[in-house]
Amino acid sequence: MEQEGLIAIGKGIAYGLAAIGPGLGIGIVGGKAVEAMARQPEMAGKLQTTMILAIAFTEALALLGFVLTFLM
Amino acid sequence: MNPMELLPEKISELVHELSVLPYNDMHFEGVPGPLVLTNYVVWMIVAVIVMSIMFMSVANKEKQRMALAAKSGKVADLAPANKFVAMIEMGVEFIRDMAVDVIGQKDGAKYTALLGTVFFMLLISNLIGLIPGAKSIGGTMGGTVALALIVWVVFVGVGIKKNGGYGYLRSLVPAGVREMPLFGRILLGGFLFLLEFVSTFLVRPLTLSVRLFANMYAGHIILGVFSSFVMVFMPFFEKQLSFSVGGGLVGIVALAFLLIMYAFELFVAFIQAYVFTMLTAVYIQSSVHASEH
Repeated sequence: MEQEGLIAIGKGIAYGLAAIGPGLGIGIVGGKAVEAMARQPEMAGKLQTTMILAIAFTEALALLGFVLTFLM
Repeated sequence: MNPMELLPEKISELVHELSVLPYNDMHFEGVPGPLVLTNYVVWMIVAVIVMSIMFMSVANKEKQRMALAAKSGKVADLAPANKFVAMIEMGVEFIRDMAVDVIGQKDGAKYTALLGTVFFMLLISNLIGLIPGAKSIGGTMGGTVALALIVWVVFVGVGIKKNGGYGYLRSLVPAGVREMPLFGRILLGGFLFLLEFVSTFLVRPLTLSVRLFANMYAGHIILGVFSSFVMVFMPFFEKQLSFSVGGGLVGIVALAFLLIMYAFELFVAFIQAYVFTMLTAVYIQSSVHASEH
């Protein structure tokens, strides 16, 4: 009985910790992208593409934690 | 009808449905494990058929039109026949621009076929996976590892073809380190070589496949969980009791959230196909220009 509870707590802690880093990372990237777009509005298209690329990279780490909690 | 009791079994049912199962639970006698027709394989075949029809039906007409325009020399003959052909042309142009931008002017256009196949395969398969009951290629580790391995073979093969086997391995270490005195070269060069070797040969295909798998699987689970919420909480409206409206309201909130997540999953389908293709192009570029490190 208590094993199942401990496993559930472990899953929660795992995903919670896994979401800290990418959350900060995506915030930083988004902030810098907006700042750059404000400085040079004619580059907005290229900056948006690069921002989305960077967000997809960091989001993969958070999603890996999410998927692992469902797999175990 | 206690929702707290219904939910866990619905969620375990969902996780079971999302795993690799023989199609319609048919059992195949005497067929070895990897050749079984699973639910993912069936939807992969559907995606491949859709993609082939889309592109092959356009390719022949385009060739005839190009030949006709070259002969007659009139600009008006260059215009696409209808909007569908124009859309496919825009798609291929998008891939070719990405290939030439990232890989370089000289030999970027050669890789348009590979990048286009990877991009459109992933895009069409992810979009098909959004139909309820259908699966996408990225839904299991099998499909993503297959695509990542193909991409890996291509970029290692290109590196070896351009620089030779020993030259490719040598280019993993930057040029400045290669000219240091002997002791520094062994220490720093050895360390850097190990780092770059693991990063290029092991980490790259792994992260490619895991990124795609995690995004698609997590998306499907979120959609499935909120659908289970709707299924469990909406029947509260049928009871003629006054306090069952609360349960119904939870169902309506879950439905609204489900619609928003569905739109977000559409966005993620495009983004994941684009990121996979862009990363392939970047890896090919780092192999082609390896001698300049």
